[in-house]
Amino acid sequence: MNETASLRDPAHVLIVGGGGTGGALAHDLVLRGVRVTLVERGEITSGTTGRHHGLLHSGARYAVKDKESAVECIEENTILRRICPGSFELNDGLFVAVTDEDVAYEPGFVEACRESGIPARRVSRAEALRLEPHLNPETKLAVQIPDGTMDAMRMPLRFFASAKHNGAVIRPWTAVEEIVISDRTVTGVRVRDLTSGAGEEISADLVVNATGPWAEIVARLAGCDVPVQPSPGVLLAVRGRWCNMVLNRLHPSGDGDIIVPQRGLSVVGTSSWVVTDPDDLGVPEDHVERMYAEGAKLVPAVRGAERRAAWSAARPLIGSRGASTGRELSRTFKCFDHRETDGVEGFVTISGGKGTTLRAMAEKTADVVCAKLGIDVPCRTRDTVLLPHSAYYLN
Amino acid sequence: MAEPQTPPTRPFRFRVHRRKAGDAGGRYDSFEVALDERRTVLDGLVAIRREHDPSLTFRHSCFHASCGTCGMRVNGADVLACVTQVTDLGGEVTVEPLANLPLVSDLVVEMGAFYGPFDRAGRPLVRESEMLPGAERAEGVEVLTRYEDCIECGICVSACPVAGSDPRYAGPAALGAAGRVVLEPRNADRATALRFADDEHGIWRCHVAYECTEACPSNADPGGHIMRLRRTATADRFRRWFGAGRAAR
Amino acid sequence: MSEQRPVTPAPAARPVERRRGWWGWFDPRGRRLGGWAFALNRLTGLGLVAYLYLHLGVLALLARGPEAWDAFVDFALNPLVLVGDVVLIFGMLFHGLNGLRVGLVGYGVVASRQAALFVGLMIIGAIVLVVATLRVFA
Repeated sequence: MNETASLRDPAHVLIVGGGGTGGALAHDLVLRGVRVTLVERGEITSGTTGRHHGLLHSGARYAVKDKESAVECIEENTILRRICPGSFELNDGLFVAVTDEDVAYEPGFVEACRESGIPARRVSRAEALRLEPHLNPETKLAVQIPDGTMDAMRMPLRFFASAKHNGAVIRPWTAVEEIVISDRTVTGVRVRDLTSGAGEEISADLVVNATGPWAEIVARLAGCDVPVQPSPGVLLAVRGRWCNMVLNRLHPSGDGDIIVPQRGLSVVGTSSWVVTDPDDLGVPEDHVERMYAEGAKLVPAVRGAERRAAWSAARPLIGSRGASTGRELSRTFKCFDHRETDGVEGFVTISGGKGTTLRAMAEKTADVVCAKLGIDVPCRTRDTVLLPHSAYYLN
Repeated sequence: MAEPQTPPTRPFRFRVHRRKAGDAGGRYDSFEVALDERRTVLDGLVAIRREHDPSLTFRHSCFHASCGTCGMRVNGADVLACVTQVTDLGGEVTVEPLANLPLVSDLVVEMGAFYGPFDRAGRPLVRESEMLPGAERAEGVEVLTRYEDCIECGICVSACPVAGSDPRYAGPAALGAAGRVVLEPRNADRATALRFADDEHGIWRCHVAYECTEACPSNADPGGHIMRLRRTATADRFRRWFGAGRAAR
Repeated sequence: MSEQRPVTPAPAARPVERRRGWWGWFDPRGRRLGGWAFALNRLTGLGLVAYLYLHLGVLALLARGPEAWDAFVDFALNPLVLVGDVVLIFGMLFHGLNGLRVGLVGYGVVASRQAALFVGLMIIGAIVLVVATLRVFA
């Protein structure tokens, strides 16, 4: 493994996983002069990344219980608006109080938002109903925060577009079958190109496992243990754009407490349970029913709206074994350097995070990766405006 | 959280187009998977890949008609697999790739061919407040914005009979995009978009089959944009011919 | 355990060009009204062009005097030819009326109701066709 990477012979990092994390990491590393190959067995963002409701998080949902996450979210929210111009609906969001308990929650909530650097503005019932006429008429008050809407697939795709045009080799339809280890050091992967059936070996100085809920399965290929369990939640898209602002329920987190407008649809989410196979999540109908019921508390019209789609998306849940292993790069994501956790060099797993914090996750992971490779180049992704998503498909 | 209830399943037969790089031609593989009544063609393909054949390649991402990646021909109709319920299809489900776009493998088409003309139309992704009439803005929100309806799925191109027989036709997707730029240029160049569209291989190549608008899963109405562009282009021409030298704006 | 090997470049996947072709115009699966209108417009257009030449050929008979013309008229009263006349009238009606739709919709007039317009015009055409058929066979 290279101790020092020179410009003539840059270190080669292989990223397994074509979700938002992998894409943002490819973009970050390539800007630091690293040679990057990314392999993904399916379409880019076809794992968990593309499936979420598309919330550009203000962090308000975390402000009360988890200030570090909240601060991270609002910072990344601001950065994403700068580096992905034209990629968001920037209509802000409302936390809506429908019951007396909700109303009681409000002062602490607003205070917590402001302490986290999240602009929060109290909105009267009358104004809330003027802004969002389809809100539950029982709305008592609301709080305005800088939520936004993103296209869950197209925003991360901009990272891939930039990475590709800066020289990263992005290979979808390429499945990892084996992680090649020699002397307790990962030296590469054996992959199968699913478009042709051909097998090949790709060698690398370091392999990053960025496969989200598949992290444990992939790590096992290297004989490593990553205690990540798929924890899916159901989402429901109904016909009709019932709001322009993101609508949240003003209460501690619960099922079905957010509605995000997505073009001509409204997406209600989400719920939570645990499975073993990230490829077999199921879509429990009682959870879908709960989305209708909870969504209707914010927007009654949701109850009778036609179902466009109901699906599941798996969060990577770091199990209790992982509570003591792995390095917490932040409150929302963790990095496992397998030299420390399993005695295997040249292999790193990154897990956790949410749609809005993909760039921060990549920055911290790239710092770890570069430190391991002896590369001392600072991150440039905070201010690098990304190419449009269509550039990913064009040469 | 309560344990999720698993609904009853029944077997569905799928006939899926397969072709890998280097194959002389395509073939069809048959699969049977157990799905519950609410499941979609995309759920079926995911199950096939999981239970029968991990080498099956198909595009998908959002599962809710938002990303446009899962466009396919199901029993001959151009649809998004993620919102096409298996029970609506009766009997066997035949799945083929979108037509009129180059094939990478199995059900995956090459989107570079789609985005080439599409990008030349110079389209913005997010529109401003003109498209949300009557809506009020919250304090601090300068302008209400909304994503374009078009999700770039390629279904209109697959359904278009002219795109099916004329490789030089710009296609309904790109012309729809040009139409949106002409309606609301924002920072894009309206004149360039109009010039792109006002071409013998552009809006004048359309013969009003209107399959594009009918097949569109997202109300983007490419056909309507083409017709509106014709009016705009014609009006511009009249102005240029009879407008005493005033340039078309 | 495998020794370090240089990175092998991926075999360049060459996407296969494919279009449905003009025979795709007549594939009924997934086809809607407008698509049939398009396909039939092409067919009737070809048919009418062919008929035009035929018609000119027939008119040339006029130059050959009354015997040639009378012989042709006898032939033209053959029931099969009358059926051909009805087919011709169908072609003219379809091509003309759909052409009207293409012209209107093509400039954005009634564009949002183009399928309904097609149905309406075809109903008018059907009525005229029935009347014409009765008169042809009278």
